[in-house]
Amino acid sequence: MVTFASNPGSWLVFLTLLVGAPLLSGIVTKFKARLAGRFGASVLQPYFDLVRLARKETVYSGSSGFVTRLAPVVVWSTTAFAMLFLPVGPFSAAISFDGDFILLAYLLGLGRFLQILAALDVASSFEGMGASREARFAVFAEPIFFFTFGSLALVTRHFSLQSIVSAIAWDKPLFPIFMVVSSISIFFLMITECSRMPVDDPNTHLELTMIHEVMILDASGFDLMLYQHAASLKLLLYAFLISGLVNPFGWLNPAAAMALFVGVLVVLAASLAAIETLMARFRLVLIPQFLLYATVIGVLNILIFTFSH
Amino acid sequence: MIGFFILCLMIHAVAMALPGVHRDDRKLNRAVNLLNTLALVFGLIFSLSSLLSSQFWDERWLLPFVGRIHLACDGIGLFFLFTFQLLSLAGSVYAIGYLEHYVERGVGIRWHLVSFTLLILSLQLVVVVQHALAFLTAWELMAVSAYFSIVLEKNRPEVRRGGFWYFVATHASALFLYVFFVMLHERTGSWDFADFASQTGWDSGTLALLLVTGFIGFAIKAGFMPFHSWLPHAHPAAPAHVSGLLSAINIKAGIYGIARIFMFFPTGPQSFGWALLAVASISAIGGVWYALAQHEIKRLLAYHSVENIGIIGLGLALAWLGRCVGAPGLVALGLAGALLHTLNHAIFKALLFFGAGNVYVYAHTGDIERLGGLAKTLPVTGVSFLIGAVSICGLPPFNGFISEFLIYKSFFQGGILMSVPVPLVLLVAAVGLAFVGGLAVACFTKLYGIVFLGENRLKLSAQPGQEALSSFPVLIGLAMLCVMIGFAPGAALRLVAPAVSEISGLPAARLGAELIAPLGALTLVFGLLLALTLLTLIIKVWTQKKVGVRLRETWGCGYQSVTARMQYSASGFAEELLRLGQPMLGLKLRWKPIAHVLPEPRVFKSHCYDQIEERLWVWLNGAIGRALTLLRWIQSGNIRHYVLYIFAALIIYLIIAFVW
Repeated sequence: MVTFASNPGSWLVFLTLLVGAPLLSGIVTKFKARLAGRFGASVLQPYFDLVRLARKETVYSGSSGFVTRLAPVVVWSTTAFAMLFLPVGPFSAAISFDGDFILLAYLLGLGRFLQILAALDVASSFEGMGASREARFAVFAEPIFFFTFGSLALVTRHFSLQSIVSAIAWDKPLFPIFMVVSSISIFFLMITECSRMPVDDPNTHLELTMIHEVMILDASGFDLMLYQHAASLKLLLYAFLISGLVNPFGWLNPAAAMALFVGVLVVLAASLAAIETLMARFRLVLIPQFLLYATVIGVLNILIFTFSH
Repeated sequence: MIGFFILCLMIHAVAMALPGVHRDDRKLNRAVNLLNTLALVFGLIFSLSSLLSSQFWDERWLLPFVGRIHLACDGIGLFFLFTFQLLSLAGSVYAIGYLEHYVERGVGIRWHLVSFTLLILSLQLVVVVQHALAFLTAWELMAVSAYFSIVLEKNRPEVRRGGFWYFVATHASALFLYVFFVMLHERTGSWDFADFASQTGWDSGTLALLLVTGFIGFAIKAGFMPFHSWLPHAHPAAPAHVSGLLSAINIKAGIYGIARIFMFFPTGPQSFGWALLAVASISAIGGVWYALAQHEIKRLLAYHSVENIGIIGLGLALAWLGRCVGAPGLVALGLAGALLHTLNHAIFKALLFFGAGNVYVYAHTGDIERLGGLAKTLPVTGVSFLIGAVSICGLPPFNGFISEFLIYKSFFQGGILMSVPVPLVLLVAAVGLAFVGGLAVACFTKLYGIVFLGENRLKLSAQPGQEALSSFPVLIGLAMLCVMIGFAPGAALRLVAPAVSEISGLPAARLGAELIAPLGALTLVFGLLLALTLLTLIIKVWTQKKVGVRLRETWGCGYQSVTARMQYSASGFAEELLRLGQPMLGLKLRWKPIAHVLPEPRVFKSHCYDQIEERLWVWLNGAIGRALTLLRWIQSGNIRHYVLYIFAALIIYLIIAFVW
């Protein structure tokens, strides 16, 4: 049965997240600048960028067709829609049903499908290269998601994100281990899917080395704004998946729980920044290996579950 | 209601007789295919109304010499009948326009029309006869008529070769089925399916033998790996309307057979379920990986059928396991997923093959590397092919997602129901399905992106052909079905519910509450998604109208003389993923590195050998040939020796007869 949250808070949170998403990207950038000893741009800089893009004229390639025009809309709406399945802090998920995490993964897959097509639509070898890389890494990223959430579903015997998160009890033996292991594999996934170091460099200016950025090389104006905003939504989505696993609202008083919840988000932003400052980008051929490590971590949960019985 | 079905069969018979009395190919093409269309409309009235009202039909007809023939339309039969009729209808309409091009080129199509009609007719017969001998007759008719439909252009050697692959495979399948049904007859003393199903107390050895022969027989037809080798040969050889039907419904006859096996053996060993799971996983992963390596549209689509048959097999395996542990809910989930995927795959695969047919008609080639930018020249084909491609990847909100979602759910349900270490195995299989999904996305973005998007890669050699008008309603109709089943899964599940309830034993009311209602609510979820997308689109269009849109050439990094051949190629797109699967795939890359300052023209070739075909079937063929040469001395060619053989055989027979 599909449950739509009756609490208006859940829907308001969804709207708040749509507005607030670029803030997290801004915070990561700020942390990064401070770690590098720079003062850095304001945390609100992503907002200024988005507004600037929205007010600019869109330039389309003469080779492109309807796919290029449709793709940014679908990429944005699927990513935004996926947020509806997330339990956020004390608020339950707006939409929840058995197997909603499968739909979440496949919604992101739909966005990716169209983004790859849009990259191939402009008839450029740069974009083609990015499209090929995106398709390749997605093949490895999808199993990580399913190993992690599949094993959590089997461990908790629940099938919706909302009920999986509610079923997490820190006082039960083994659960802390499950949560830590899952958080690590989702973190790896976040790095891959959100084009962060060491998989992809969001700030590179060389077409040959980019993955996500090279695919949207020919996007501009409102389309580029949609892509950029969808990227920040995606980052927030994975961050909430991790902080949801901690689920402090079941066992702490509301104020402390809120503090812990926000704390986890800040720690995530800081560790992303730290990794980006300390590490160089992997060579492209090494990325599948990196993803396989993450897969193996995802398998750990179900192995622990299997052998503890 | 049954009157409609009999009318349908009679109109088919008239359509088959027409080429005998008329000789003008162009008129014949229209007349026969329109008659078939009409027949199938009547047939669909019968199957759809019976299916929705759960009115089953069961009769025994007394035929001279043969005896009583049991004909019945139960839930399973009706579901497959509906699927076959729906896609045959699409195929018949598509054929009207597509065969025109053959008529223009002077290829004789009279006998093709007969065999094509016979194929449609026999496919419908296969699922309604419940008598083993009649079933085998219908099966053989289907196999032979499909062969003759494939070899329409028999002057081309690759067509004859592809047809031959099909011919051998389908008869290997029939051989196993003869053994299977004769063994069943031996044990039950009857040819009637109902008697097979009511037989109990199988000893485990016989049961295992029956399951293996029956499964192999049907698996060859369905195209499970490693029995898939005929698909990538036969599909490119056949004209598009036939290859569409081959993939959409002909191979589904194998799935129908496996569903019948479920009915024949209500209590089977759990090991069969695990074996099915293994074969299905191998088919799904192997099929899609090989598909990624193909350079020819139809060959690529044929390998994708192997993948999708694997996905259907996963659902069937879960249903079998569910029955072994006594969980009818799991049986229902797995089976509903498998059967719905059967229907879904039929719809989008026919759509893709028909779309590929239009590409052939336009460009006279199916070589992906030579095509490009077709979405602009063939807009209807372009958009509907995109919908088919998204659906086949199992992406929401289209129909492929619904059936894959059910199969995922059955994995997790099974993981909860069964004890450790089963959850581990099922989770690995579920992740395998996710991996297949990722590869399918890579494969179809490659196919669609290279063929339909970007710029045309090579100057087309001949005059580009015109898409036939009759293909438009078919493509649009099938694409709409993909969307409709995605948005209203509850309605589609009502079609599979009778079959699911027959095999799982769950009453229809419980199915409605446990299976259909939860998925039916997805309509609202997808509706919201659509609303959000449309809203975004409106805002985007409105904003862009305000701030302006400009057309410019693609960013070329400052390079001025960009040509269409500098676009990313299909081989380049897939190469890294293929390299990872190289040991399995038999990928051969051949090129010479550039050594001098002024390089000469260079050639790069990549080819993917089907390891199973090369290492297993070609080897087996050779081995059998070599073994038989040892017996060649018998065939001396001298008539006196043959008389001696006959005489000796007679003596031996007499001795045995006397001694016995």
